[in-house]
Amino acid sequence: MNRSAPRSIDQYLTALREELAGEDTALVQDALYDAEEYLRAEVAAHPDKSESDVLELIASTYGAPDEVANAYRDTEAKVKAAMTTPRKVAKTGIGAFFGVFQDPRAYTSLFFMLLSLATGIIYFTVAVTGLALSAGLGVLIIGVPFFLLFMGLTRVLALAEGRLIEAMTGERMPRRPVHQSSVAGFWSRVGQMLKDRRTWTTLAYLILMLPLGIIYFVMAVVGLSISLAFIFAPLTDVASRYEWFGIPPDVRMNPAWLGSVWALPLMVLAGIVLLTLLLHLARGVGRLHALYAKALLVPSASAAIVANP
Amino acid sequence: MDDSSAKKFQKDLNGGLVGLVLLAILDRSAEDLYGYEIAKRLASANEGVSIFKEGTIYPVLRALSAANLLTSRIVPSYSGPPRRYYRITDQGRGVLAAWIAIWAGTRSFVDRFIDTGHAK
Repeated sequence: MNRSAPRSIDQYLTALREELAGEDTALVQDALYDAEEYLRAEVAAHPDKSESDVLELIASTYGAPDEVANAYRDTEAKVKAAMTTPRKVAKTGIGAFFGVFQDPRAYTSLFFMLLSLATGIIYFTVAVTGLALSAGLGVLIIGVPFFLLFMGLTRVLALAEGRLIEAMTGERMPRRPVHQSSVAGFWSRVGQMLKDRRTWTTLAYLILMLPLGIIYFVMAVVGLSISLAFIFAPLTDVASRYEWFGIPPDVRMNPAWLGSVWALPLMVLAGIVLLTLLLHLARGVGRLHALYAKALLVPSASAAIVANP
Repeated sequence: MDDSSAKKFQKDLNGGLVGLVLLAILDRSAEDLYGYEIAKRLASANEGVSIFKEGTIYPVLRALSAANLLTSRIVPSYSGPPRRYYRITDQGRGVLAAWIAIWAGTRSFVDRFIDTGHAK
């Protein structure tokens, strides 16, 4: 690229962000994080030189923004190719329908749906308590430090949720926390946080996770219990006949024809179909939720990261 | 040979070598290292100029870590964002031993042609 060499850390990071425009937002966040670690360490290691003098030599040591951007693109492509095992996908209707049983993402997504009630309660409690205390303590001297602490906690939660979602759904999420540029003054950092759209979308995500978690949990539990009850209906039938496990012999199916011998295989079949549908549903919910989480938790590639460019 | 083809040749060579060198550095090091420290060790080994652009080692460190050849932990830092310290795993040591054998074989093979092929 034919541009003037960056003369400050902020300019370098802005140039790197422009070079990576269009890449996965999570990759951009990681690349910026790595570059900032290096550049700040390099500036700190040369206290006798000014920031612009250090940056002048950066292109020959760390690499120019376009070189670094290419390194991340290449490595990401290789890692992605190595990590995704080629899976033979059945094209036909029946094969594609039952093929979901072979997809690990379907099971992990179902687990995520069950887990989301617990995480939803934690996120909601943290977000509402933090907001309420921040507002309440705002008039006191400890209000601002408390708010900063709360913001730090929400960022850690956002990163952890991102890692969880990547593990469950395979959607690329950031592997590094967002680092706020620390050169600006204390008050401008607070102001910057309040102005940052992502601060509020992260809070919205944490709060909305409770209702979503309830919905996901109910869908998963209801689906699992109905389909498993159908699949194990013959076992219940036999158990009640011989009074195993203390099941009384007078268990009646309603309607009555469900208790007849010929209906049992049909119930098993219905249970298997329901379970398959549930796994399809879980996989779909997992994919949609990953996109939704990415939109709210990961800053868009075009957003400025620096406080005062 | 003009400058750009020399650069391209160096870049092609580096593709696999960066991973080998990073594993070797972390294997020799007594303590855990973070990206900047590793970059400086690379540079000091070659009179201040690393043959790798130091920015290219970070994505490779992450790739090695994703393949379970390295483990990492995060430590807060005063000068910037928290640092990620890397340490080689047992699996990484196994891979390193295999890679060193491949490198030694490759080097002696190449040397056989370089040393004798252009002998006057």
